Amino acid sequence: MSPSGAALPRSTLSLQARLLATVLGLVGLVWLAVAVATWYDTGHELDELLDAHLAQAASLLVTQRLDELEGDNFPPPPTLHKYQTRVAIQVWHEGRLVVRSTNAPEAPLGFGEAPGLRTSVIDGEAWRVLTTPGREPDVLIHVGELESARHDILLASLRSIAWPMLLALPLLALGIWWAVRGAVRPLRQLGQAVALRRPQALQPLSAHAVPPEVAPLVTALNGLFQRMADLLESERRFTADAAHELRTPIAAIRMQAQVAQGATREPERTQALAATLLGCDRAARLTEQLLQLARLEDEVARGGPVDPAGTVSADLTAAALGLMAELELQAQVRGQSLALLAPGPVHVPMPGALLQVLLRNLTDNALRYSPDGARVQLSLEGPAPGQVAALVVEDGGPGLPPEAMARLGERFFRVLGTGQTGSGLGWSIVQRLARLYGLSVSVDRSPALRGLRVTVIWTDTPPRRY
Amino acid sequence: MRILLAEDDELLGSGIKAGLTQQGFHVDWVRDGVAAERELLAGDHQAVVLDLGLPRQDGMDSLRSARARRIATPVLVLTARDAVTARIEGLDAGADDYLIKPVDLHELAARLRALVRRAHGQTQTRLEAGPVTLDPAAHQVWLDGATVELSGREYDLLQVFMLNAGRVLSREQIEQHLYKWGTEVASNTVEVHIYNLRRKLRGELIETVRGVGYVLRRDAAPAA
Repeated sequence: MSPSGAALPRSTLSLQARLLATVLGLVGLVWLAVAVATWYDTGHELDELLDAHLAQAASLLVTQRLDELEGDNFPPPPTLHKYQTRVAIQVWHEGRLVVRSTNAPEAPLGFGEAPGLRTSVIDGEAWRVLTTPGREPDVLIHVGELESARHDILLASLRSIAWPMLLALPLLALGIWWAVRGAVRPLRQLGQAVALRRPQALQPLSAHAVPPEVAPLVTALNGLFQRMADLLESERRFTADAAHELRTPIAAIRMQAQVAQGATREPERTQALAATLLGCDRAARLTEQLLQLARLEDEVARGGPVDPAGTVSADLTAAALGLMAELELQAQVRGQSLALLAPGPVHVPMPGALLQVLLRNLTDNALRYSPDGARVQLSLEGPAPGQVAALVVEDGGPGLPPEAMARLGERFFRVLGTGQTGSGLGWSIVQRLARLYGLSVSVDRSPALRGLRVTVIWTDTPPRRY
Repeated sequence: MRILLAEDDELLGSGIKAGLTQQGFHVDWVRDGVAAERELLAGDHQAVVLDLGLPRQDGMDSLRSARARRIATPVLVLTARDAVTARIEGLDAGADDYLIKPVDLHELAARLRALVRRAHGQTQTRLEAGPVTLDPAAHQVWLDGATVELSGREYDLLQVFMLNAGRVLSREQIEQHLYKWGTEVASNTVEVHIYNLRRKLRGELIETVRGVGYVLRRDAAPAA
């Protein structure tokens, strides 16, 4: 048995919830990555763009003469754009700050004479500064911009793409939820169909109109239903057979006891009492057989081996000889003959008591269902390729009508299935023994005796357990 | 009353046969379905006790075949099959009653008496014809309310006449009703029993129809 129970996933999340979480998580991660990439890319582009603006502003100052710039009357430039005030200007002449825009700090925006772009920190604020010499060589121009201002622009531009993304996420979740719900509907319907079944309803589920992914599950379930139905049917049949087999001797005991009770003559009473005792013996033997079978079934059901050491063995020939001596009289009454063909002792891996049960059922049946004067033959075989031993029970009347021959297997099954043998549980017992000991049992027409032929083979492969 | 018993189990069959004989029935016993059908078709019995699981042919098939040929003999099915479907199938196949093994001898006998009574159109447990009353269960006969002592054969003969009151019965028919297989019947036995019955009851109750047989008058007047 496979440990299928342990293979089940530990998570109890529904498929739907798991799919939803996975897809939304992945989409969220992708969007986050896109946002980060956009942040850096846009920041870089923005820097280049704004640096160019700084350079443009500086180049305007460079074209001015110093005296045009100098003086307190330098007017603050008109605000033409909301970001404009963030640009600050300093003009230095011979180490003295001669001109500065009102938003510029008094500390130099740049150190050293080296022209070019750099980032410097003044009063704890980061500035982006472009330094260039003026028109006169002793004039130094700094054009700077607060990094925080650039940051604000970047944030504003990212905000405009983040909103649609955030709004789309719930919509996407709703869409995924709806799609997944539709996709798992066949599974849910299948579950409902199985849940609503009564325990006895074992007819197969419809395998068409289910998606290909669900079809294997339906097929597996149908297989399970079939096996359960077979098992139930076999149990039902066995119970019916057992009931019949036990009821008949009990009915006989009761009837004979009442006959003894009502007998007025002594011989009649004695005879009825003797018959009562005979019935008791028969019922006791049947009960013993039933218990034996039940114990075997129980053992197999609990997974224990029937014969763990492989030590159980019985001689088929001896068992057949014993049975023939027992049945000889019964056969003679109807002018039937019993024959045994055996190569010597044939050992089979089966307890002697159960071997007797098997032999008796088959032989008794052959005698019972062949006409008066018929011959019944038991042939035994020893080991051969693929087999440990074989038993063939043949009966031969003077030919069976063709329609009966055609229905042979069916008749055999039905008649035995109704438990007609006087000493056993009929076909059920044979089948059960076959299942327990891995015997192959086949029924066909006897070429030699023209009657029924039952072949039992003890295979050399161990019995299959289920 | 002659009963056909179809049962393949030796022990049970011999028990039923002995028990029913104690109860005053004459029992013929067959052991397979083919013989059961043959005897059903012959129609010599007043009722049949039929086991279903018979060798050679299922009892149900024997019954169906007999019913298909308009054999009306009451049939009591006796079986170990207790599934409701099996019972329904049995009754639908033409069984008149159904008993599950094991059965009580007295119940079986009572049911057989009831089946025979109903088959002859009688609904009373006691058979009545004019001044004569017969109680099959008690095995007793009264004439004008007074008990009449009859021998076993005389009683059987009277029961045959009362079940068939108003119908003319030939000597052969009477013999078939009375005697099970293998019984040697002397040519004048029936006449002797009829003579005795007439003597113990009343002469004019059983009339002789010359060249045909005998008839029990249904409307025989009570004693004046």
